[in-house]
Amino acid sequence: MNWRARLAERLSHTPRETRDTLFQLAVIAWTVGPHLLHLPTWCSLMTVALLVWRARLALTGAALPSRLLISAVLVAAAALTLWGERTLLGKEAGITLLVVLMALKTLELRARRDALVVFFLGFFLVLTHFLYSQSLATGLWLLGAVWGLLTALVLAHMPVGRPPLWRAGRVAARAAVLGLPVMVLLFLLFPRMGPLWGLPQDAQGRTGLSGSLRLGGVASIAEDDSIALRLRFFGPLPAPEQMYFRGPVLSSFDGREWTRLVPRFPVAQRARLDLEVSGSPLRYEMTVEPSQLPLLPLLEMTPDRAGAAPHIDGWLLTHRSDGQWQTDRPVLERVRVEVSAWLQHRHGPKQEVLGLRDLVDLPPNANPRTLQWAAELRARPDLAGADASALSAAVLQHIRSGGYFYTLEPGTYGQAGGQSAGGDAIDEFWMDRKLGFCEHFASAYVVVMRALDVPARIVTGYQGTDPLPQDGYYIVRQRNAHAWAEIWQAGQGWIRVDPTAAVAPDRVMMSGRSLRPAPGLVAGTMNAIDPALAARLRGAWETVNNRWNQWVLNYSRGQQFDLLKNLGFESPSWQDLASTLILILCAGALAGAAWAWWDRRRLDPWQRLQQRVQDQLARLGVAVAPHHGPRERARRLRQALGSAAEPAARQLDELDAARYGGAAARWQGHARWWHDFRTAARALPAAPET
Amino acid sequence: MGAAYWSPRARFRQWWRNRVPLTDTWVLGQSNVYILPTRAGFTFAGTMLVMLLASINYQLNLGFALTFLLMGAGLVSMHLTHGNLRGLSLHLKALQPGFAGDPVLLDVVLSNAGRERHGLALRFEDRKLFGGADAWCDAPAGGQGQAHLSFVPAHRGWHAAPVLVLETHFPFGLFRAWTVWRPASRALAWPRPEQPAPPLPKSGAAPGDERARAHACGSELDGVRPWRRGDSMRQVAWKKVARSGEMVSRDTAGTASRSLWLDWAEAAGGDVEQRLSRLAAWVLLAHREGLDCGLRLPGVELPPQHGESHRRASLDALAQVQS
Repeated sequence: MNWRARLAERLSHTPRETRDTLFQLAVIAWTVGPHLLHLPTWCSLMTVALLVWRARLALTGAALPSRLLISAVLVAAAALTLWGERTLLGKEAGITLLVVLMALKTLELRARRDALVVFFLGFFLVLTHFLYSQSLATGLWLLGAVWGLLTALVLAHMPVGRPPLWRAGRVAARAAVLGLPVMVLLFLLFPRMGPLWGLPQDAQGRTGLSGSLRLGGVASIAEDDSIALRLRFFGPLPAPEQMYFRGPVLSSFDGREWTRLVPRFPVAQRARLDLEVSGSPLRYEMTVEPSQLPLLPLLEMTPDRAGAAPHIDGWLLTHRSDGQWQTDRPVLERVRVEVSAWLQHRHGPKQEVLGLRDLVDLPPNANPRTLQWAAELRARPDLAGADASALSAAVLQHIRSGGYFYTLEPGTYGQAGGQSAGGDAIDEFWMDRKLGFCEHFASAYVVVMRALDVPARIVTGYQGTDPLPQDGYYIVRQRNAHAWAEIWQAGQGWIRVDPTAAVAPDRVMMSGRSLRPAPGLVAGTMNAIDPALAARLRGAWETVNNRWNQWVLNYSRGQQFDLLKNLGFESPSWQDLASTLILILCAGALAGAAWAWWDRRRLDPWQRLQQRVQDQLARLGVAVAPHHGPRERARRLRQALGSAAEPAARQLDELDAARYGGAAARWQGHARWWHDFRTAARALPAAPET
Repeated sequence: MGAAYWSPRARFRQWWRNRVPLTDTWVLGQSNVYILPTRAGFTFAGTMLVMLLASINYQLNLGFALTFLLMGAGLVSMHLTHGNLRGLSLHLKALQPGFAGDPVLLDVVLSNAGRERHGLALRFEDRKLFGGADAWCDAPAGGQGQAHLSFVPAHRGWHAAPVLVLETHFPFGLFRAWTVWRPASRALAWPRPEQPAPPLPKSGAAPGDERARAHACGSELDGVRPWRRGDSMRQVAWKKVARSGEMVSRDTAGTASRSLWLDWAEAAGGDVEQRLSRLAAWVLLAHREGLDCGLRLPGVELPPQHGESHRRASLDALAQVQS
C-alpha cells in the first residue's frame, strides 16, 4: 500500500473530532498560505511549525499545550515583530501578528464552538490579502478559502454523528449562492467614498509620484506593477516617446531634495504659462487610480479650454502656471476624465522675466566639482555665446559618451560625505559613480544647466504605457513613473529635455518594456512550442483580466452614477445610491418575509389531506385526532353515523390502503381522492349531539 | 420558587409559557418559531463592520466584494436557520409511569416533510429545574428523527411533562431559532417503595393460609385456564402448552384462600407518604410472590386479583391518593 492510500485509509477511520481539526488546519493553511511569501521568515516558519504541531497533536490524540506556553509564544512573536518592524501597528506588523495569532489559536481549539473565533479571524485575514493583490487568481484562491471557512463553520454546527465533509460544503455553498443577489446589489449600490481617515504611510504607492523627489534616499525602485492610469484613445495612438504625463513640477533644490518652487518674486514678475497649441487635438479617456495626490497626470499638454479641459462633477480643477493640472482634493478614489491633448505645443514666457531667476538657484557650497565641471564646459571655445539648446546638447553628449549607465539599482548616493547638506550627491553621481536612473540623470542635468546659468526645472510624472492594449485600454503602471527636465530658451519658452533618453533611449522608446524580467518557465516553454498559441492564450488571459479590472476592480462612484443614470436618475448623488439600496433591501426583506409566510401554509401533502379530512369530519360531528389514521377515522365515522356513512367510510379505508398498502408507496392521487371523499361526506347529515 | 417567582423575568416567562397551548403534537410554523442573533452573530456583524471600514479606507473593491458576500451568506443563514425548524412536527410519545425518583423518558419524534435538517437540540425550558443537557438530533429528508430527554419526578402523583424547547443554530451559528412547546401529556409517578421492603402484613391474609398454599400446589394439574392477557410468563403451564399447543396458565387465582388485603389502616405509622411507600412495597412484594392482593384505600377499593395490569392499577391508585 502506498502512502497516499494509507493516508486515505487512515483519514476515513479517524474519529470525527480529529478529522474536523485536520480540515480546519487545512483551511487555515490555505488561507494563510499566500501571506507566507512576503512575511518575515521567522513568522512563516513559526506558522508552519505551529500548524504541523497541531496536526500531530490531533493525529496522536495528545493533550493540547498549556495556556502559559501559548502566551509565551505570543509574547515572543510580538517581540520579534517589534524588532523587525519597529512597530506593532502598521500594515505589515498587523498582518504578521494576525497570522501568528491565527496559528496559535488553533492550539486552543478544544470545543468545536471555540472555532468561531478562528473563522472570524480567518475572514479578516482573507481581506488583508487584497492589500497586496486583487488579481483574478487571488480572488479565486481566496474564494476557495472563504468556502473552506464557511464549510468548517457549518461542520461545527452539525454535532450529530460524522457528517461527510461534502455535505457541510454543500450547505455552505448553498448559503453563499443564495446570498449572491444581496452581494451583487450591495456591491453595485453601496456608496463608494474616500478613506474615512488618514491612511498610514505604507498605504501609499511605493514608486510613482510623491510631490517631491529625494536623491540618495531610495536605493532601488521596486518593480511596482500596480496600475496608475488607464487610457483609451479616440483616434490615432501617439508614439511612445511622445507620451509624457505631467505631474508635479519641482524647481527648488536644497542639495538633497527637489520640491515645488516657493517664488521669491511678486506675481507680475513670475513666469506665466502662456500655452499655445497647434495641430489637431488628441481625444482620450483617462481613469486615474487613487494616488493620494491632488493632481491629474494628463498628457502634455491640455489647455484650460471648454471642451478640452478635464471635468469631474463637484471638483475644482485648475491649470497651474507650471502646466500641471491641479485638483482641489487628493485623489482618493478612482476618477475618470475625458480630455483633449495637443502633442504640438509651446509654453512659458518667450522673453526673459525676473521670475526665471528662481530657476537658476543652487544650494550654496554644494557639489563644487560639478560646478567646476560646468564652468570648464562654459569656457570651451566652441560654446562661447551658445544658447540654452546648444549647451544642453553638449551636456547630453557628455552623458552619452561619458560612461554613464542606466540602472534601477544604483546604490545610495550622498553617504560618502561632503560638506553640504546633501553630502554632495550630485558630485558623486556626475563625477564618480555614473550609475543611476531617471531621477539621478534629471537632477544632475538640471544642476549642471543651472550652473551654466540656464533656467531649468524637473518635471515628474509618467512616461509611456504598456506596449499592447488590454481590451482597448492602454495601461500606465507605477513603474512608468519618470522624471525629466525642462530648460528655458529665450524666444521659445520651456523645452522638454529627457536626459535619461540620452543614456537609455529604450527607457523612453519602449516604455520600460526592456526592464521587464525574463518570462517565467511556463511562458518560456509555451513560446518555444507554439508562439501563436502562446500569444492567443496571453491575449485571452489579458482580456479576461481586463474585464476583471474594468468591471470589478475599477467599479467606483463614476460607474455607480452611470448605473443610476441608466435607471432614470437625472443627476445622481450618493444619497440616491443609498436610498435606492435601502429601498431594494427593504423590498427584498419583505419578499423574504412573504415567502416565509407562504411557506408556513405549505405542508406535506399528506398532512394537509389529513387536516382537511379532520375538518370535514368535525363538520359532521365526528371528532378525530391529528394522529388518527384513515382506518381509525373510518371506524369512528361508522360508529357515529352508521350505515349511511358507509360510502365515505369506504373512501377512508381506500385511502388507508393507498397510504399504507405495500403497492402504492408513492400514491399521488390526493386531489382526486379528496374530491370523491368530500362528495360522499357532503351527502351525509351531521351526527346527533351526544 | 419563592421570591424569584415574582421577579419580572419569571413573570414574563410564566406568561410566555402560559400562552403556549398544551398539545402533544406541535407543528412548527411561522407563528411559533422565534429567532434572534447569537453572540457569535453580533461578533460576525462586528467583523463585517471592520472589514467594510478596511475596504473603504484602503479602497479595496475585492474587499467590498468579500464583505458583501459574507453579509449575503449571513443574511441567508437567518432564513436557513428559521427554515431548519419551520415545517417540522414534533410528537411526544405516551409517557410511561414510573416510581418517584426514577427518570421518566420523554421520547420525541420529529417528523420532517422537507429537506434534511441538522443540529436540532431538544432541551428543557427550565434548565435549573430539570437539567441543562441538550439532546442533539438530525431529521433526515422526508423521514423522522428521535430525541430523548428524561426528567425525574421528585414526588408521587401526576406530573405535567416539562415545557420543552427545540432550538437550532444551524448552519453558521449566527442566529438561534427556537420554539417553546408545552406537551399535554402527564406522567404518573408511583410512590417510591419503602426500602428495605417490609414483610407482608399477616392479619390481612385469609385464614388457613398455609394449608391453602399447599392445596394450591397439589392441584396444579386441574388448576389451569386459558392464557389471559396480563398473565406473567411464570404462570404459563409450559408443559401443557408443549403438549396441547394452546397457551394455558396455572389458575392460581382460583384459590380464593390465597388472597391478601393490603389495607391503608394496616400501614400505620408515619405520615401519608410513608404509608403509601410501605403499601407500594407490599404491592410489589405480593406480586413478586404471585399472591392475589386487594387494596383498600380511603375511598378506593381494588378487589384481590393478580397480574401485571392489577399491579399497575394498584400502584396508580396509590399514586393518586389525596393527601
